[in-house]
Amino acid sequence: MSTIVDEYRAGLRDGKLLIQVCNECDTKILYPRHRCIACGSNKLGWVAASGKGILHTYTIVRAVPPAGFEGELPYGLGVVKLTEGVQLLGRLHPGSHRQDWSGYACDVAVQFKPASTEAIASRPVAWFAPVAASGSPEK
Amino acid sequence: MMAEDFQPALTTNARSPNDPVFIGVGELESGRFPDRTFIGDLTEVAYRALKDANLPLADVDTILLIPCLHSFEDQADLVFSRVVEELGLSRKAKSSFMVHSGGSTSDNAVRVASGLIASGHARNVLVLQAERWGSADLTKMVTMLTLNGIPQEWEQPSGVTFNAIGAMITQRYMAATGSTAEDMASICTTLRQWARLNPNAMYKNKPLSIEAILASKMVCDPLHALECPMLADGAAAFVMTTAENAKARTGSWVRIAGSGGCVSHYSLGQEVDAGTLGWKIAADRAYAQSSWGPKDIQFAQIYDSYAAVTAIGVEGLGIAPAGEGARMFRSGAASPGGRLPINTNGGLLSAGHTGVGGGLALLIEGVRQLQRRAESSRQIDGATRGIIGGTGGSYMDAQVLLLERVERENIQ
Repeated sequence: MSTIVDEYRAGLRDGKLLIQVCNECDTKILYPRHRCIACGSNKLGWVAASGKGILHTYTIVRAVPPAGFEGELPYGLGVVKLTEGVQLLGRLHPGSHRQDWSGYACDVAVQFKPASTEAIASRPVAWFAPVAASGSPEK
Repeated sequence: MMAEDFQPALTTNARSPNDPVFIGVGELESGRFPDRTFIGDLTEVAYRALKDANLPLADVDTILLIPCLHSFEDQADLVFSRVVEELGLSRKAKSSFMVHSGGSTSDNAVRVASGLIASGHARNVLVLQAERWGSADLTKMVTMLTLNGIPQEWEQPSGVTFNAIGAMITQRYMAATGSTAEDMASICTTLRQWARLNPNAMYKNKPLSIEAILASKMVCDPLHALECPMLADGAAAFVMTTAENAKARTGSWVRIAGSGGCVSHYSLGQEVDAGTLGWKIAADRAYAQSSWGPKDIQFAQIYDSYAAVTAIGVEGLGIAPAGEGARMFRSGAASPGGRLPINTNGGLLSAGHTGVGGGLALLIEGVRQLQRRAESSRQIDGATRGIIGGTGGSYMDAQVLLLERVERENIQ
């Protein structure tokens, strides 16, 4: 794995969502690339994301998962547009019980909320949860 | 979008001797055929296309192979040259190679063949494909589809699947347009009506209702099991040559009035609008190259591995008003006997998803309609102009071809 993969995944393990940033033109980039997609520079660094975003679209996978994901059904996936202007595909936390996906709809506010350390170790991916009316993530 | 700024003009017209044109298509029945073989199907479909083209095999100088997805071995095995050898074209063939852009490969293969023909690098081009998906191990194919067409190091840990990608596009489309589950299902039932008229369709003998779709198991919200494509064996091919050659063999042929494309993303996670994708940009580019537009067509053949992809395509192409794509199907306008037939072979969803060949099957159905050689029950009367829309991978691109029938007597 390349350095950018290791660095991004190290961030996830630390409970942080990292966004790549170009040190020359300040463009934010996600998923991370090997050159800046705006100016072509290879002087790239990282900033911690605010974690706030809007759910562009989502689904609940209930059947025909990839090999290895059978035990996780059903699970939520979504495309999140972060306030920083970048977007990514991530996992969605269920609500108060395992089958509760009622907090999700297109264009609702969501917040980065890491899964357990063990889950992140086996599946390095960003997880999101709905933002409650008060503005704080649901449990 | 200033499409005309970077859209070159076509260098040939209907009267140009070197105008690249279709003169024949061939197809094998789609479905599950464990007794057929990959190389056997490629050979058979080549003969069918050449017979339809009224072209001697020995006149083929260039072979373009559209890749299969059923095995990496068969895809990586330089099969394009094996086809030359299997057909007995060794030393006669000038070149053989593969073109690949996923589900839109057929559209790009048309562009490649056209360029070779118009510029004099090729005389008669055979484009062919065979897929063994229907007879392959389903679990292996699902895993293969899951691992390919996504940036693996970033997205594989999420557990995304192709059904999930189709579902997320559907979810966004429904939210943006207010289309109902019934509206979406009506696209599938429309396609099934067409498939019932196509002897090569996988589901030609099986009716489908909106009620049955909505009662089937939820696979990935909001997609039901009967809204997901069924993997199929299949094979299809076409032959292109110059208008000058076509004129010497037949009274009519099919030319390309314009083409346009847009690669909008690779990963769906990077698509800025999953409810519109790249269709509008691609369509604007195609129409900028042509003297006609969506009001002038008698049919459209638009990639449909999920219903929403076709609804989005219909809107981006200007065939339905924005937001009205799914409801256009619900109204019956796209059905047999409707105002504007769409996916007259039954599409991938009802003729069978033959991998990269699904788009090719739609393309050759379009050519066949313009040749007026479809079975009479689904032949569109007086078909003269049609639109082909293709897309590949995670609906990463939109590719548009504007096709029109040419009569020899009209260009003498």
